[in-house]
Amino acid sequence: MQEYKKISITKDEIVPTARRMKQEGRALAMIHGFINDNGRPNVSYEYEVGPTIESYTVDGERVLPTISDIYDQAAAWPEREMMELMDITFEGLDASKRLFMPDSMLDGQGQIIVTPMKELIEKTHKKKEG
Amino acid sequence: MSYIVPIGPYHPALEEPVHARLYTDGEAISEAEVFIGYNHRGIEKLAMQKNYIQTLVMVERVCGICSHSHALSYAMALESIAKMKVPKRGEYIRVIIAELERLHSHYLWLGIALHIIGHDSMFMHTWDDREMVMDILEELTGNRVNYGMVTVGGSRRDITDDQRRDVLEMLAKLEKSMDRIKDFLLSDKTIALRTQGVGILTTEDSIRIGAVGPHARASNVPVDVRKDAPYCSYDDFEFDKAVYPSGDVFARVVVRVLENYESMKIIRQALENLPAGPINLGNRIPKIPAGEYMVRHEAPRGQLCYKVVSDGGETNKRVSIHVPTFKNAPTVPVMLKGNSVADAGLIIASIDPCFSCMDR
Repeated sequence: MQEYKKISITKDEIVPTARRMKQEGRALAMIHGFINDNGRPNVSYEYEVGPTIESYTVDGERVLPTISDIYDQAAAWPEREMMELMDITFEGLDASKRLFMPDSMLDGQGQIIVTPMKELIEKTHKKKEG
Repeated sequence: MSYIVPIGPYHPALEEPVHARLYTDGEAISEAEVFIGYNHRGIEKLAMQKNYIQTLVMVERVCGICSHSHALSYAMALESIAKMKVPKRGEYIRVIIAELERLHSHYLWLGIALHIIGHDSMFMHTWDDREMVMDILEELTGNRVNYGMVTVGGSRRDITDDQRRDVLEMLAKLEKSMDRIKDFLLSDKTIALRTQGVGILTTEDSIRIGAVGPHARASNVPVDVRKDAPYCSYDDFEFDKAVYPSGDVFARVVVRVLENYESMKIIRQALENLPAGPINLGNRIPKIPAGEYMVRHEAPRGQLCYKVVSDGGETNKRVSIHVPTFKNAPTVPVMLKGNSVADAGLIIASIDPCFSCMDR
């Protein structure tokens, strides 16, 4: 049976945790980003430990260290995605190119998931008219 | 002389839009880049506005091939948050549809690979067999693509005794035909010349980049969620992981052929031991308490991850979808390096890419 275990960590523990997991040969299933109603970011690193998912969660941090030097593209692509869609930044990550969004879409990165739908539509229309 | 050769976003060898930029040195590719995002529809954002049943219908439309996998994973995540126990019969029906989906997806890929190789008559044979699977899926679910078989708490339709007999008859025919295709694929000289030693992904690279599914198994990495982290009663069935060591395009053909046999095995076992009882917990809009959960499912292309966050309200707080192509696509530049431009289309297609899934 699949299980899910949530573990809270601080920003400083992200890289040591990733190193330990890599050494143990665990795969990184997902990096999940979430901004709650108060605009508080929540990022969790989901590692596969046998049938269990160990979810290491960092709460309330907007700038995080990248683990793309440890987990290569398995970490780099989700981190780049998060930088585009949410107001979360990864230090040391090469995000010089866009992953999903076209270069012309909505100046100012990382607001798409948080901005209300109505505002997004208005912004897009304004851009087209302009 | 070095050139930059662009492939895509729209190209005859690609069913979906992706852009690859090849830096060539004569005929050989020295460097490659992949650009995605041409199909981004903002489904994760939309999921934050909709209730659970609406989202279930919507996520089934993330992908046109592995639609059942998406609905199944999303439903499993909700059931895990709400601690629902799905009836055994409902789980078996989910497994049967999931494996039929894997069959038709692998047949689709085999056909496309043969088409790119240039063997069009065999491409038609594989797609002819795929039609048998599609017809059965239509008989069981009423649809060829978006089956709508999953609901939160079980399955939506039952499988009757007549349908059970039809599926078993179809499998007998399909297996005979698969033997013929297998013998051909493993012995034909043209196939060997176009696939063996082409687009190699080593075991080390596969683990480093984090490839999943048949693509990883073709590089000798034995990962399969159905075995490693069983769900949906998969531990009731006997089947093997299909693993092949060579890591080239040929290995990916072999792995998918072997997996077709394993899927047939699972469907037969599920149909023969189909438990009696209800198929779901009642088809109502579910009450989902506050919580979060991440589930994994072995979709036809590899591990599909769904994470759902709920605060006990009407809508999802967040739905994260990580699809297999998102993990396999970064391996493409590694595989392309050193190969000729003529093989680029085949190598990109060999990961069985689904860019609609990936862009969401």
